[in-house]
Order: sequence, then C-alpha cells, then structure tokens
Amino acid sequence: MRYWLIGALATVTIAGACAMATMHEAAPQKAAEPAPGAATPNASATESQPPPEAAGQEAYSDEVVGTVEAPRSAARPGKVDPILFPDGNVPSTPPPDEKSRGAETSTDTPVLDKKTTIEFSDDTIEGELATPDGEFVEARKKTDHGSLVKVPDGFGQDRKDWQKGTPAGDASGKLKKAPRAAPTKPTTTPKPPPKTHGGKSRRTLSYDDVELRKQVSSAVKPVDELWVVSRKQAPRARPAAARPDTGGIEARLPSSEQRVPLPLKHTEVSAQIAGFVASVRVKQQYQNPYAEKIEAVYVFPLPEDAAVSDFVMTIGDRTIRGIVRERQEAERIYAEAKQQGYVASLMTEERPNVFTQQVANIEPGKSIDVDLVYYNALPLEDGWYVFSFPLVVGPRFNPPGKADGVGAVARGERGASGQGTEVQYLAPSERSGHDIGISVDLDAGMPIMELQSSTHKIETQELSATHRAIKLAAADTIPNKDFVLRYRVASDAVGSAFLTHRDDGGSYFMLLLTPPAELKKIERSPREMVFVLDCSGSMSGEPLRQAKAAVRRVLELMEPDDSFQIINFSTSASQLGKQPLVATRKNIERGLRYLASLDAEGGTMMTEGIHAALGFAHEPGKVRIVSFMTDGFIGNETDILRLVHSEIGAARLFSFGVGSSPNRYLLDAMARMGNGAVAYIEPSDAQAAEAVDAFFERIAYPALSDIEVEWGGLQTVDVYPARIPDLHVGRPVFVSGRFTGQASSIRVSGYAGGKRVEFAVPVIVDPTAARPPLKQIWARMKIADLAQRATWDDDLRGLADLIKQSAIEHGLLSRFTAFIAVDSSRVTAGDHGVSVTQPVPVPDGVRYENTVGREKK
Amino acid sequence: MRRGSILARAALIAYALALAAIAVAEEAARFQPIDIVVDVGAGALAAYQIELVVTSGDASIVGVEGGEPAAFKAAPYYDPKALAGGRIIIAAYSIDDQLPSGRVRVATLHMREVGAAPGYEVKLLAAADSDGQPLSVTVEVQPRPVGGAR
Repeated sequence: MRYWLIGALATVTIAGACAMATMHEAAPQKAAEPAPGAATPNASATESQPPPEAAGQEAYSDEVVGTVEAPRSAARPGKVDPILFPDGNVPSTPPPDEKSRGAETSTDTPVLDKKTTIEFSDDTIEGELATPDGEFVEARKKTDHGSLVKVPDGFGQDRKDWQKGTPAGDASGKLKKAPRAAPTKPTTTPKPPPKTHGGKSRRTLSYDDVELRKQVSSAVKPVDELWVVSRKQAPRARPAAARPDTGGIEARLPSSEQRVPLPLKHTEVSAQIAGFVASVRVKQQYQNPYAEKIEAVYVFPLPEDAAVSDFVMTIGDRTIRGIVRERQEAERIYAEAKQQGYVASLMTEERPNVFTQQVANIEPGKSIDVDLVYYNALPLEDGWYVFSFPLVVGPRFNPPGKADGVGAVARGERGASGQGTEVQYLAPSERSGHDIGISVDLDAGMPIMELQSSTHKIETQELSATHRAIKLAAADTIPNKDFVLRYRVASDAVGSAFLTHRDDGGSYFMLLLTPPAELKKIERSPREMVFVLDCSGSMSGEPLRQAKAAVRRVLELMEPDDSFQIINFSTSASQLGKQPLVATRKNIERGLRYLASLDAEGGTMMTEGIHAALGFAHEPGKVRIVSFMTDGFIGNETDILRLVHSEIGAARLFSFGVGSSPNRYLLDAMARMGNGAVAYIEPSDAQAAEAVDAFFERIAYPALSDIEVEWGGLQTVDVYPARIPDLHVGRPVFVSGRFTGQASSIRVSGYAGGKRVEFAVPVIVDPTAARPPLKQIWARMKIADLAQRATWDDDLRGLADLIKQSAIEHGLLSRFTAFIAVDSSRVTAGDHGVSVTQPVPVPDGVRYENTVGREKK
Repeated sequence: MRRGSILARAALIAYALALAAIAVAEEAARFQPIDIVVDVGAGALAAYQIELVVTSGDASIVGVEGGEPAAFKAAPYYDPKALAGGRIIIAAYSIDDQLPSGRVRVATLHMREVGAAPGYEVKLLAAADSDGQPLSVTVEVQPRPVGGAR
C-alpha cells in the first residue's frame, strides 16, 4: 500500500479529510492542470525543498517554510523519518491518476516525509469528505484561503521531482485533490469511520515534528483525503527582532474536529473612581482550547496615561506577581523561560496606549489569568469627568519605509505588515469568543448630577447622591469600540483642586488647574480657522460623516472677520483654495460644497496634512486655529509629533478624535504640542454637537499661556509637565510634583489676549494623606513628559535612561521597561508550542476592506 | 626574545580569560523556585517584611508567589525601589480571621540563576500580629526542586 504526500510550500493547513482512498475510488480529475512553470509535488521527490527565500522565490511564510512531501519510493534514500499511515497499509500499485502523470508507481514503504516544521494558520476547514466533488466546494466556502491547495508560481520549477506526479495544486491556485491511494485491503482492523456531523465528516489536522506520525496515524481514514491548503502571501519583512517571539510559528490549527475559540476568552475591567482618580484592574483570561501547548499573544490598548503598576499571573489558585525589568532583559528572561518550558508572561509597551501581552507554555485545556492594575486621573472636559477604556487598537497606516509602526493584517497573516508591532484583525464574517465585562464603582465625592455613556449600554445603580455602581449591559460586550463614561458633578463644586499623598518616599501633589473665569471677559481676536480632515480609507463611512458634520457646524458659527481654509489629506493633501477665505456667506457655502465633495480613500500621510496646515504665512492680526479631524490610525506618531513641534509656531492645534476607537495618544499629544486641546466626538449626534459647540466656545476666548505658579510656602521639585500647558476655557489641566512645606494657597499667573491674568488657588496640605495612586500618576506623568521631549530632543539615550530609571524605581511599565513573571516551579512537557496571536475585530464603524484588506472568501 | 615570549603569553592569557568570560556570559540561565518559610511559633502572623540576600553567584528575581496558608495566598508585594538598588524586599499582610501559626511557607520567590548555584540568605525585617505587635519569628529560605517535565 502506498500513501501520498502532498507538497506545498507555505503557510499550510492540513485539514478536512485525509487521504487514503481505496484503489477502486479513482480520484476525479477535476483539478486544473499545473500551469506552465508551476510544479506539483511528486511521488519521486528525493530532496528537501529549499525555502522559497533561498530559491529566490516568493516568500509564502514569514517565519517557517514547510513542506509535506509527496509520497516517494521507499527505495529512495530518505532524509527524514518516514511517517507510517495507520494500519501499516502500503499501496503496492500507484493510483491511476498518478500513473497518468508519470509519477513513480512503485513503492513499498508507506512514507510521509516531513522535512521541516510546518507553519499552520488558524484556519479551520470543514467539508463533506465522503463525496469529493462537494467537499472542495464546501471547504472553499469555509476557509480564508483563496484556494484549498495552492502551489506558488515557479515553485520547484527547477526540480523535476516536483514537476510531475501528485497534483497538490497549480500555479493558478485552483483546487486540486489529493491523490488517491492505491486500493488495498487493510491488513489490520480498520479504525472506526470518522466522526460525522450531519453526514459530513469534519476533521482538522495539525502537524509538528513530534506529533506528525501520531496524528496522521490516528486521523487518516481509508475514505478520507488529504488536503493541503497554502496561502499565497506577498513577500514580507520580518518584524523587528526586539520581540522574543520573533521566529516563532504563527498559529496552527488545533488537533480537534471543530472550530475552536481563540485563547483570550474574556477581559474583565473593574474600575474604582475616587474623586477624579481611577484605579483600574484589568483581568485577561486566557485558556488553551487546543490539543497542543501554545503561547498566546495579544496586542491591546489601554489609556495613554495609564500608570500600569501591578501585574499578577494566576495559574489555578496560585498567584505570581510580575517584576518590572529593563525591557530587553525582561524579553530575554521571557524567551529563556519559554524555551525551557516554564509558564511565563511578559507585558510590553509598544506605544503609550498600545501594549503586548504574551503568555508562554499554556498547556492544553489550562487557564491562565493575567491581572494588571493601572491608575490615571480623569480629564475634566467641558464640565464632564470622562472615564474611557479603549477596547481595540484601530488598524493603522504606516508610511512607506517605516518598520517601527503598528501594522494591521488579516487574521493569521503574521508579519505581513513588516512592522515591529502588528495587530491581526478578524474579517467581518468572523467573530471571536472574546468578550468584555466592565464595572465602575464611582465615588465622586460630590453630588453626581448626570452620568451617561453614549458608546455602550450601561446599568446604573444609585448607591447615594455621590456614589454610583455602573455595569456594562450584557448585550454590549463586544470589544470593538472605546467604552466612555461621563459624569458631571454639581457645577458650583468644580474648581481647582489640590490633592496630596505622603509616604516614606516623600510627599506628592496633584493639582487640577481650572481656567479662571476672567478668560471669558477678554475680547477675542479674529480667527484664521484651518480645518484639516483626514480622508484616508479608515475614515470611510461614519468617521468622515462625523468629521464633516463638525466642520459644517463650525463654519456656520464663524463670524465675518474670521477666515477659513479646508484641507483634506490621505495619500496627499489638497485644499479649498490657495489662501484662506474670508468667512462671508458665499465663501462659507463654497466651503460647504467642497466639504460635501470629500470622500475617504487611500493612505494616511498625516505629515502632508500638517505641512499644508502650518506651512503657509499667518494672516496678520488673526489667531490661527488648526482643527485636525482624524481617527489617528497611523503608526508613525513620533514623526507627526515632531513635525507639530517644529511647525506649530504661533498657531494652535485642536485635535478632534472621530470614530469609535480613535488613537487617543496621538490626538492628545498633538493638541498638547500644538498648544491646543483635544475633543472626542462620540457616536451620539447630540454629544457630537455638544463637543463642537464647546470647541467653538473654547476658541472664542484666548487661552492663558506662559503660565507660572508661585507655590507659596511649598518647596516643589520634579513638577510635571515641565512646561504647564496653556489653559483653555472648559479644559483644566493636571500638574503633579513632589513637595515639602506648607501653604494655604498658591498663585497662578499667565497671559491671555496680551493681558496678564493672575489668580489664587486655595490648597489644603494634609501631611498625613495617603493616596498611593497619586505617586504612580506623578511617575507616569514624569515618564510621559520625558517621552514627549524625546520626540524632539536629540539626547534620546539620556532621556531613555531617565525613563528607565524612573519606571523601575516606581515599578511602572514604560517603553523601556516590561513586566515579567515566570513560574519556575514546574516545567511543562514538550517544546514551547506555537504562538497564537489573538485577532481582534476592526473598530465599530471602520471598514475592514479599507483598512486591513479584502476579506478572503 | 624573552620579552616577546612574555608578551605572547600575556596575550594568550588575556584571550583565554576573554573566552572564559564569554563562556560565562553565554551560560544558559535556569530557573529555580525558593520557598520562604517562617516559623511563627504560637503567634499568629498578620504581616511580614523580609529581604532576600544573594550571598554568592548570579541570581535575579523573576516572580513573587503567594504562600501556603489562605491568609498569605495572594502574591506578596516587592519594593521596586529596593530592587532597583539590587535588594529584594518583599512584604505582605493579611486581615484574614485565620492567621497562620507555627512553621509556614509564606511566599515562593522565582529566581533566574546563571552559573554556579547561588547562595541565599533571608533577613527578617519585620513580623507582626493582627494588633501590630512585633512577633519573634525565624525565617529561612529553601530551594525547591523543579517539578514537571524537567
């Protein structure tokens, strides 16, 4: 009896039926013939195929290239261990279809050679296996691959042993069936027929060096066929080598019969808000649903100002607290632990709001939880405190030539973006089992007047006038948009606030600095409004509609002595006119028409938009206000911020975040560097209108700039931000530092509209107050301030050292530090398994085809 | 001639030392759990703070695990500032009704070791009962065999 091996080069999934048809069931010849130059695996293959890169061919897999060879004669020298099919059956004659292709016809040994490790993607193929004609059709519908069997162009063309014989596929990617095995009577008792599902059998196989023989032996049945699926991919760059999992295998189908869930099952967010300080615990629950050991990899967002200061890995009833280490050291430790078979977890920061969690050596069926805790201060925006929790990293555009961005790829296409960080996205037709739970315990300390979420359905329990318990409604648990909760306290209670914390390390303060009422009494200057709209592909649909609505509203509110310009950018930038137009009715209508004509497509060359908005001469006597409307889905944030810093001049940049999951780090930082303020437009039209009106009111008054603080009897050091941001109406800012001494008030001064403004802020310094989050928030603000400096300061190494030192001393995650936790008490069996990257949905309202790519059918 | 020979020998020695250094540097790391065991006697332990001192060899901490009794099951905290200075200080407290007495494992430290087996010493910095009264306890460190497939 003989057994057939099907060759394929690439990311390979072996699924569905496994070949062992009897001789009497000749394989149908429906498959297309190989195209010229293409090769098919051959029964007489005797040499290992080089990986495609080595052969100068198209790369089909970023990490591992594997082949499952066609069956070959036992007489040929085998280079690897042969794999015996079940029952020891060996076909003694070749199947007719192979004969017709001139393949070797004689073989005595059942052989399935495996030359290298095969990379499997996490596709499941289901099909009716008993009726070959139908199964391909069925299976094709259910896989992401363009075809079930696909051999790359030119593959093996110089190798005659691959040019004839078993038709695993053809260059055009058309499906071909596996060859039929020669008919033979099993010499041993046949195994029971495959498990069926409504008359159809479904089976998924995965291979690795250790398990191949076992799996094939137990899974392949005489009535089955072997299918090999390869995915043709564009040549791709390897991710930056900074990640310890680089070089790992992306994902592999589990050895189970059904589509299985992904490793991240649930994320539970529990927040406690006291006043305006939030302490948030995030629990990520991982479970290995596969039959093999895995490493789970998950790229996820957190608020950009989150001071992540605790990290605990839970295995069963054991809890292991992670340690903050220098990032490279932590990555090295993680790689060692992973390689040696220990359960370990590593958390790294890729951006201030993008993180990677890796959990190594999760054994089949086992669960591992990772808890992290962070603190942040809630911004006060136009009278509302805002608690936001991002749930998905939006698909980002990376300009050509960049490799340190955040790539967006389809599920299973690891490395395809060529970026150091990469997010895999589920296609619109796919769903993961990952859901979320969010609960918020809000103790505002003052009567709560209003509380709402326009992003999610919530259930609220009023515990007292100042205290609420909020829970995410059960019907709204898909993690595809930011969770935003707003609350307002009694308006007369909102003012500047001064909180302190004292411990062995000293005393820390946090000052909420509220703009003085005097700002509204100062006469405004005429404005030169520059609207910049991101019209890239990710803005298509709802985000662009929101942005246009915002611009329309502001245009209608402009006054005759104002002027305006509309700039739109995607791959390049264009604008309404050569110069800003005076805001006459006629010009406004012209602007509205221009606005209506804009559509979203192409890349996000944001630098083009910034150059266009800031790179022309100011109109004398007018304040330039740049309103930047974008989802911020770009991966080169540093380039953008550096450009804003260098070109902002006397202009002010106000960023508007649109869409359900904007890049808040970028938008906040652009506004901060642009001496403006940020606003987010949520899905609710009412909220959007309110945000735009608040913005218009804000720009109607001058900001308080060049702010200085006289601390009275307080001796302050390490105050951050080092330069206190300008104060705009409706937008208080946080200032934090360390101090000694006592005072009952501090004095704040600055300039607005050319006039000096000065006001006092009463403070109460409680020498015994213990508010530990303040210390962590201060450290995080220090790190953020240093990181911001790093966008334009040349002393990167010096700044990096300062960030590292500060983060380690305070046990905080940062770009240069990471959390590592290793369970050294036990070594898990086997090698470290494969990496399974958790794919995520694209944000609500974002079109997959415009950001990730066309969904594969 | 003699001077040349000395120089050549010196160069060889330096080369050998450099190779040895590289070998040490490249020596594979291993992981080792070590238990922190406290003998409270008849008292009831509510809080402790200890310092682990690496007396010899190359070892660093890669995880802090809770102990055996329910009151100290949660992972202890470590002092990041001390760790930045090369010291390993952990601490925990419990408000549980059932506080442990006698000899108990209060924590397990997961260590990464390189080269010869490091020496460990543990110092008790503080131990107290639920009233905050100091307890007279002894503390010791016990490397634990690694289980599983090793």
